[in-house]
Amino acid sequence: MTNLAFYTLSALAIWSGWRVFRVDSMIRATFALMVSFICVGGIALLMSADYIGIATVFMMAVEMTVMGLFMVMFMMNPAGLNPMQMVHQHRFSIGAGIAAFIGLTVAVLATNLPNNPLPAGRDTLHDLGVELLGGSMLIFETAGVTLLATMVGAVVLSSRRGRFGDSDAGAVPPGLQPGGQPAGRKVEKSGGHGGHGGDGSHDMNMNMKGAPKSDDAPHKGHGKMPEEES
Amino acid sequence: MTLTASLVVAAALFGIGLFGALSQKSFVMLMMGLELMLNGTLLAAVGFWAFTLEGAPKGQLLAILVMAVMAVELVIGFALVVAVYRKRQADVVESLGTLKQ
Amino acid sequence: MSFALALTTLILFLAIGIWIAAILDALFYRRISGQGGVSVLSPFYAAAAHLSRQRLTTEAPDRLNWYLAIAGYLAIATIGLAVVPFGPETAVIGIKTSVVLWGACESLVVVLVFLHGWSPNSPLALIGAYRYVAIGLPIMLLSMFVLIAAALPARSLDLRDIVASQEGLWNVIRQPLGLPLFLLLGLSLTLRGPFDYADSADLAGGTSVEDSGANRAGWQVARLAMLVGFSAIAASTFLGGYLGPVLPGIVWLAIKTLILMAVVIGLSHLLARMPVARMLGLIWKFLLPIAFADLLLAGLVALA
Repeated sequence: MTNLAFYTLSALAIWSGWRVFRVDSMIRATFALMVSFICVGGIALLMSADYIGIATVFMMAVEMTVMGLFMVMFMMNPAGLNPMQMVHQHRFSIGAGIAAFIGLTVAVLATNLPNNPLPAGRDTLHDLGVELLGGSMLIFETAGVTLLATMVGAVVLSSRRGRFGDSDAGAVPPGLQPGGQPAGRKVEKSGGHGGHGGDGSHDMNMNMKGAPKSDDAPHKGHGKMPEEES
Repeated sequence: MTLTASLVVAAALFGIGLFGALSQKSFVMLMMGLELMLNGTLLAAVGFWAFTLEGAPKGQLLAILVMAVMAVELVIGFALVVAVYRKRQADVVESLGTLKQ
Repeated sequence: MSFALALTTLILFLAIGIWIAAILDALFYRRISGQGGVSVLSPFYAAAAHLSRQRLTTEAPDRLNWYLAIAGYLAIATIGLAVVPFGPETAVIGIKTSVVLWGACESLVVVLVFLHGWSPNSPLALIGAYRYVAIGLPIMLLSMFVLIAAALPARSLDLRDIVASQEGLWNVIRQPLGLPLFLLLGLSLTLRGPFDYADSADLAGGTSVEDSGANRAGWQVARLAMLVGFSAIAASTFLGGYLGPVLPGIVWLAIKTLILMAVVIGLSHLLARMPVARMLGLIWKFLLPIAFADLLLAGLVALA
């Protein structure tokens, strides 16, 4: 029974991990990763790590929700509605992945692993609590302080206003060709105004000159046609 | 359910994660690859704890540390993605060929 | 009580709970709006009407995730009810970390509601999904503090031990801040009233705007099931669960669950919804510190 559950969960974990990089929809990819984590949490439960297993599930559910939102924000094609090449150095990556798997497997199979299994009936939850706030308290507290530092760091990194002015002052999108025109939007001469600074002036040009351009609809994304300076 | 089986599963997860981290263009997908690698690590840590340590609680502590590392990686990763996007309007790895501008 | 008996009890409890919750919901609405009473069979009429209607769909929906979201929401509600002890040492899922398991269910609710709004490929549903994530994550954080505070006097993460520790004094008196905060979480988990940012009327139904036919019936049943599961958890954590004189434990649990269910439904019809930004401010700046205070008080009491 335990064996059956273990092999089912393992297969599901590996399959959903594989699906993460094969599906078109970013939301599906994110939640496939979450399924993989939940399966590993289930395996941990089978190994009687009561707390670790369930903590994995709830941590990962929250993390993957946030991940999904960022996916939708930062991907060109979140729902996978138009086909798009999302990978690079494909062969090398496949080789590296397979090499890592085979190398680790050979190492596992070749090693004479010790066999001191968990004694039946041991209160692992109590053990963990005593360890966290006893012998390994320093490690645990260090992890806590690290997380606090992470929070501060994340706020500093992602805040728009900084000591030296706005973080997107003079930001120029990368060109479509190396060294080419910036893609997407036009940047105002004064800089410092991120987002869609170019759109207003476009409309005015259209009104004054009466020369509507077919591709002048408000392109707000990136990776669009480089536009002429008028 | 043996130690060897769980370690092989962990290796498979790690391998897929490595493939994803190397092959994906988008930052966010790259981070998913890293997460999947850490997922394998977590499974290996729990496996070692359950089968070789006679239940010494330090093994569980290691698993908790792996989870903390995941959280840190994710948070700092997203903050960097936001910062880079502000500066470069970029969301794929290729646009960071150089760090100076 | 054997496992099979516990499982049967769970299914009956859930089914009857859903039925009563549907009647209560309709009754509150009709009382407030000055209309008459409500028939006890009306939930069945509504279900039959939904099931007999055509199932409409949108352009290019994510069908798999759509069904998974509805089924998953119902499953999460059932798991929540399954960790509730029906009597001493009797729960369908009897593990030592059942409170943590409930915490995992809470966070999966956010995921599933988001999926439900994402998958129809429709703007109003997606707006509902985003709003819900913004509100659902911090309110879940708050419930973690409240639950840990409730677990402190029991010195255990097992819901059975938490109920047993309330033999002398219920947690609602020992930690007066706990239950009100937890009820707010319940409003959020069941997508109701002031925390209904997912399925609200201002988005023409939010994440469920594109649901029709059997899908809509399934989603409504899942929401009511979540209400039952949440109320049973809250009754066990704060009102002593199955503890009580004379009557058998399961009856006490049912009575307490019913009372909390009525309170949640009443709150959902009486409180107004705020704009998302103001609600976020309220949660992060006001409710979360109160939850801290609750945990601090519980810790001090445990030390004393």
